[in-house]
Amino acid sequence: MKTTAKIAVIILAGLVWTVPAASQDKAGLLEKQNSLNSEYSLAKDSAFYFVLDILGRKLELRVRGMVLRSWPFQSMRFWGRPELSGNVELVRKTALKAPERIVIKPGGDAEKVESAPGPAAKPTGTNPAEFELEALELKDMPKKFSLDFDDGLHILVKTKTGASGGLLGSMREGWRWFVDLPLRNLFGPRTGAGLSELELTFDNDKDAQSIYWHFFDGIKGIIL
Amino acid sequence: MFVKRILIAAAALAYLGFLAVLGAAYLIGLKQASAWPPAGQAIADKDLSKVEKNVQQLEKRMSGLLPRGLYIVIDTAENRLFVKNGKEVVRTAVVSCGSGVVLEESGGKQRKWIFDTPRGEFNVKSKITNPYWVKPDWAFIEEGESIPKGVEDRIEAGTLGDYALGFGQGYFIHGTLYTRLLGRNVTHGCVRVGDEDLKAIFKAVPIGAKIYIY
Repeated sequence: MKTTAKIAVIILAGLVWTVPAASQDKAGLLEKQNSLNSEYSLAKDSAFYFVLDILGRKLELRVRGMVLRSWPFQSMRFWGRPELSGNVELVRKTALKAPERIVIKPGGDAEKVESAPGPAAKPTGTNPAEFELEALELKDMPKKFSLDFDDGLHILVKTKTGASGGLLGSMREGWRWFVDLPLRNLFGPRTGAGLSELELTFDNDKDAQSIYWHFFDGIKGIIL
Repeated sequence: MFVKRILIAAAALAYLGFLAVLGAAYLIGLKQASAWPPAGQAIADKDLSKVEKNVQQLEKRMSGLLPRGLYIVIDTAENRLFVKNGKEVVRTAVVSCGSGVVLEESGGKQRKWIFDTPRGEFNVKSKITNPYWVKPDWAFIEEGESIPKGVEDRIEAGTLGDYALGFGQGYFIHGTLYTRLLGRNVTHGCVRVGDEDLKAIFKAVPIGAKIYIY
């Protein structure tokens, strides 16, 4: 009798424990189906796309379902409507100091329209990586910039270390995040669509710079 | 004195009002934030097997999109080339990709070239041993030279290394004389590779293999 009671208690406990887990699995399965559906609609074409996995804390560049680059982010915060999911398209990429291409006009009045750092390979050290080149390279990309998407989502990409702009920059950023955005969220933005502001902070400068490099206007993506 | 008190009281009231509004904004923000992530929809038991089947099918379709056999992946920002087989990296090479420079023709047709390595999905269209370079117009314009009329004046041997893999529109993965600049963005759009890596890539990768440049 004692043994039967023990078995009954174990079975009951098992049931109590498995029912919520099973319902969680079911919800997860539906989410997986939805995200696979979204991704397949993009992956069947040859164009690159991105996947912003908010809970997984990573941003990925993909093609044909294959991960080309993965950038884990250190932290994130957001203001506004939290419907951060679905397919989006990058409309605009904005940086305070966007990189500019070097223009060469041989034989013209202006040999170089944009100022270029010296001749083709001016050594500043013994390491070839230190040469100043007439080129647009990863190191020329901004470390802080924003991405505007077609659904009104605005993502600010920044790094832990770079581009704070000193005390004035920090104050401006503080005002924007702690006063301007909450008030805009309260009174509604001028565009009519709800405010949706996401800020992603990456560990190193190169991550933010390579996101700027690889994200072109019109790139499509999924937010999970 | 009285006016001063009124002014101080008004300023204090305005400040308190501002704080109250800001507080309300924070409350609304917190309420919105607590609604995220949204609760997942429940699936009815009768639909469970259907959803499971769908997920399996989608996973199968997704894996079917991956290139078969060896393929090349090029990161233009890091100047790296990867030869891959499935998810496995078979070889990594330091390369040079496009400089992003704009060349504008001063006189004549006033043409303009942007020296970017094209991004996207391509195929290996040709494999050439001992390739020679047929210099395009921009090569002469860039050097401030006049453009020759005959093709024979455009041919330059040795510049492209021992092998070249063409991937369309005049773009090649080829060798280089400037090995010191591998790892930097210096080319006119082609992808320059060091001799040893180029030989291995040329031998391994067949015509038709996919190339992904990002």
